[in-house]
Amino acid sequence: MIDYPWNDRAGRFNWLRMAAFTLAVAPALWIAVDAATGGLGAKPLTETIHRTGHWAVRFLLISLAMTPVRRITGWNRVITVRRMLGLTAFSYAVVHLALFIPDQGWKLGHVASEIVLRPYLTIGFIALLGLAALAATSTDAMIRRLGRRWQVLHRIVYGLVALGLLHFFMQSKINATEAALMTGFWLLLMGWRLAHRMGASLKSPSVMAMVAIGAALTAALTEALWYGAATGVPWRAVLEANLMLTPWPRPAVITLIVGLVTVPLPLVKPVLDRLRRSVKRSSRGSTSIRA
Amino acid sequence: MLIKVKRGWELPESAAISESQYLNRRSLLKKLAVGSVLAGSALSGGMSLSRRAYAETDPSADLYPVSANGKYTVPERPLTSEKDATTYNNFYEFGTHKGIYEDAQAMKLRPWEIRIDGLVEKEMTLDIDGLLSKVQLEERVYRHRCVETWAMTVPWSGFPMSQLIALAKPLSGAKYIRMETLADKEAMSNLGAFWYPWPYTEGVTMEEGMNDLCFMVTGLFGKPLPKQNGAPLRIALPWKYGFKSIKSIVRFTFTDERPVGYWEELQDSEYGFWANVNPEVPHPRWSQAQERLLTTGDTVPTQLYNGYGEFVAGLYSGLQESEGIRLFR
Repeated sequence: MIDYPWNDRAGRFNWLRMAAFTLAVAPALWIAVDAATGGLGAKPLTETIHRTGHWAVRFLLISLAMTPVRRITGWNRVITVRRMLGLTAFSYAVVHLALFIPDQGWKLGHVASEIVLRPYLTIGFIALLGLAALAATSTDAMIRRLGRRWQVLHRIVYGLVALGLLHFFMQSKINATEAALMTGFWLLLMGWRLAHRMGASLKSPSVMAMVAIGAALTAALTEALWYGAATGVPWRAVLEANLMLTPWPRPAVITLIVGLVTVPLPLVKPVLDRLRRSVKRSSRGSTSIRA
Repeated sequence: MLIKVKRGWELPESAAISESQYLNRRSLLKKLAVGSVLAGSALSGGMSLSRRAYAETDPSADLYPVSANGKYTVPERPLTSEKDATTYNNFYEFGTHKGIYEDAQAMKLRPWEIRIDGLVEKEMTLDIDGLLSKVQLEERVYRHRCVETWAMTVPWSGFPMSQLIALAKPLSGAKYIRMETLADKEAMSNLGAFWYPWPYTEGVTMEEGMNDLCFMVTGLFGKPLPKQNGAPLRIALPWKYGFKSIKSIVRFTFTDERPVGYWEELQDSEYGFWANVNPEVPHPRWSQAQERLLTTGDTVPTQLYNGYGEFVAGLYSGLQESEGIRLFR
């Protein structure tokens, strides 16, 4: 059945799905407006390739955040938008690859040989093939048919994101800041999963703080390792830069901040629920007075 | 027999016409695409940019335009639009993205002192206006090929580096010229990223510096050079990848040691000292076989020495490509 993406399975308008859908199309609209007004600069194609690639990674991470967000907040309904966000990531990745063809002057042979010859393109291409397999098995029918195997298959997304991040690092000319930041977020998401698997509760402040610190430290080491191994930038200086917030906080620091901000999130839903109950009680109370 | 000799001031016809054509095309497209209201604001946005860029009157403004040197023209390519050439720039001191033109306006162009030191008869410090009064300015249309595979064609104003070398009076032991960009923490936000090897450094051999194609640039499109393009003094080495053409120079050091450039320091597997353009030698991460022209968006084949082989190939005839010498990267 074909339905509007903002409706739920029963065909009713749903605010959460509408929000996810708006988030999914907003970057595309942003690019389109910039394209129409010259906001993409002197090399619009290159700029669009970069932006769609960035958004593919961002949406992959957002879709990977749904399960831990549900565990942390207890807000189960977020899981209903996970598929839409995953497919959004895949769509941006497809456009990202498709635009590489005109970028190479429409020479398909050249496109193919570049993908084979340049390791960072090969890695990105493999990640996209993997995402295509996940997208193809995301229909209701396929999920039913695959049963438990669906879970196993879709776990490869963690590895596909890692490939995407490696591709992101490798294409950076020298500044790998955004690749490192996305890696920090990915480590946070993987840390929450690991903690859950080990039986820890994501509602515990100490568990959440430990994941935040662990992810931030790993992000800092990954970034320094990248610069040390792949560039002439002194890795010690990159590590040191985490200690200062100027000119801007480094990726590992932002990872730490985001990780720590999530610590009080488990409190939000119980408080909201209590408020809602008390509002209901008092409104019931007022009706009874009037009656 | 009729022999048509191009005189110095004659620009190729394609160059003269196409810039305005392309500028018009842009505004037309904008109007069609987003309606007159949006187009109006976009155009006025563009105007306010050029007003900002030239708001301070450059003390050297009266020197331009200068007469064109007819030996250096690019008849087969249209000129890149002034807007693209002045809004799509690599200038890492102001940020690692291409849209640094607004941030670059923070750079102060006066006083601008240029230090000449190392193996010279007498070390000296010149100010830019003093230097400009000692040299003969002319305009040359050059192709410019970035290592990132984009290219532009622009009219630079300036003087051959040989004039600067004559002023500097190097000693016979000088084999290389090492150049440095301004490093002003106040004006240049990315200098806060202290893990990069500031100041930006580049270098050429003495033979390269003496080659007539090696051009010290002080103007662009018949006006003083905009800050984002490397005001008040940069170099244009059109047969090499763009990162060799160092901007906003404050120091020339004559030396017998091969200089290590900023990019070579950062990533010597990808960016070397020689960095001559060659379509056959790929960058480790991408092919260099073709390039995309700014403004037209056309993809065209890249040429050996960016098409300047007749002027510079001889510089490298004695050198063998080897582990120590990578002529084309």
